Amino acid sequence: MMFFEPFQLPFMARALVELVLLGALAGTVGVLVLLRRLAFVSDTLTHTVFPGVVIGHLMAGDGGIFWGALAAGVVTAVLLTLLTHRRRVSEDAALAMLLTTLFAVGVVVVSRQTGFTSDLTAFLFGRVLTVTETQLAQTAVVTVVVVALLAVLRRPLLLRAFDPEGARAAGVRVGLLDLVLNVAVALVVVAAVKAVGTILVIALLVVPAAAARGLSDRLVVIVPLACLVGASAGWLGLVVSYEASVGYGVRLASGATVVLVLVAMYGLAHVAGFVRRKVGLSRARSAIVESAA
Amino acid sequence: MSWLDSTVHRALVEAVLVGALGGVVGVFVVARRLPFFTMALTHATFPGIVIAALLGVNLYLGGGLFGLLVVAAVLAFGRGRGQDFSTATGIALSGGFALGVVLVSAQDGFTKDLAAYTVGDVLAVGTGDLVATAAVAVGVLLLLALVGKELLLAAFDPVGAAALGLPTVLLDFALLAVVEVTVVATVPALGTILAVALIVGPAATARLLTDRLAPLFPIAAAIGVGCALAGVWVSTRWNVATGASIALFVGLVFGAVFLGTAVRGRVRRAVARRVAVRA
Repeated sequence: MMFFEPFQLPFMARALVELVLLGALAGTVGVLVLLRRLAFVSDTLTHTVFPGVVIGHLMAGDGGIFWGALAAGVVTAVLLTLLTHRRRVSEDAALAMLLTTLFAVGVVVVSRQTGFTSDLTAFLFGRVLTVTETQLAQTAVVTVVVVALLAVLRRPLLLRAFDPEGARAAGVRVGLLDLVLNVAVALVVVAAVKAVGTILVIALLVVPAAAARGLSDRLVVIVPLACLVGASAGWLGLVVSYEASVGYGVRLASGATVVLVLVAMYGLAHVAGFVRRKVGLSRARSAIVESAA
Repeated sequence: MSWLDSTVHRALVEAVLVGALGGVVGVFVVARRLPFFTMALTHATFPGIVIAALLGVNLYLGGGLFGLLVVAAVLAFGRGRGQDFSTATGIALSGGFALGVVLVSAQDGFTKDLAAYTVGDVLAVGTGDLVATAAVAVGVLLLLALVGKELLLAAFDPVGAAALGLPTVLLDFALLAVVEVTVVATVPALGTILAVALIVGPAATARLLTDRLAPLFPIAAAIGVGCALAGVWVSTRWNVATGASIALFVGLVFGAVFLGTAVRGRVRRAVARRVAVRA
């Protein structure tokens, strides 16, 4: 079986577990990212954990990466929440400034080291095939924590997403809630970035939720659908990249292949949603015609 | 031996050109809330450049054509039900970049190309790059001088612009095309992240300093040129990545001005309150 055989290799199995976990986690958080239009926020967080990764690595070796990234992620989430509360700077300009400045700090520090380009590439694209069991455990813990957090806070979070004024009137502390969501996105980024790299993280956070939204209008359906899309794209992407390199001798970067599978799924979902609405419309129209006749 | 034979001199000229171009175009980017779109464009022109390199055609041409394709895709998908501009931009960003990576990873010399593309190397610009940047700068500035007023009107009051009979769709497209051309001209030499820093940063800083429209352009251009020159100087002096040190200067200036205006606003309010109490 082409779809299962590659995963008998231990490193492929670990990569699969990591991607399925992350797909499910990012699918859940991604729905909130979609509803709150936080795509740029996620993109910013993926870049700003870079200096944390670099400095953590310099100070404590491989073990410092997770904690460095975590610190940088939380600092970004706080700065973001503060900066966007001032009206003079529009939110996206503030984000762009945070993103470029903090990323530049990371690049300046890295460029003083040797092996500059390979470090940067590893950060941008990750090394999903070299995921260790410790990283798997970290990802699993983050998944449980974030999903539990969102499950507990789902009512105020959704209220804030659809009706910020109403939420404020109902006594929800909007600033604190925004900070919680930003930190949740930062946690996903931190859990994922070492394994899969920044570009795949942003794709996982944005694309599955958007695809699910194209297929359904109901939140109860969208969340599990987004998890499913994220997880299955991880699996399919690994299979394609493995088959291409083993069967056909074409090297395809595995993380980037997963992203392309995700985008293809999004395209299909978009078309399917379009057809579904067209069919629904024509059915409704013929029902009206029949009832009139 | 001409003055342009030195890499540092070429880098300085490129820095001045890009700083001024980025500052002026940035005013429109910030006014129209396009920073994320700019970010996506810098990433999404990547596959175009890779394909152009594989086919052996001009890199700028490849990046430019692919960028137009991405603009069209974002506009098309952003109109879908339940989707919005920012989500479509995110998808274009990650999808376009991933396509470029997959194409590059099938080649040799993978890591080096990619790092150069992300952080750029302004010290490696040739005379050809300088000519291309200068041509783009002149073209963009001419276009902005001709229709700048209309573009700004459409930015601040789209309904009013349409009521005046201006072709708003055409103006929107012209603006996106200007941003795209700027990105395509600057990214190969300066890298994706730096291009965004130089386009958004100076304009956002200028916006903090003044509420009037006319001074925005010279202030933004001056900040852009100043940061670019300072970045090149620091990087040749202490041997750090050039693009990153320019971006760092832009960020520092923005941060300083942000804190400065915040403090000034607070002091003014306190003074006003004291005056009110006395009266």
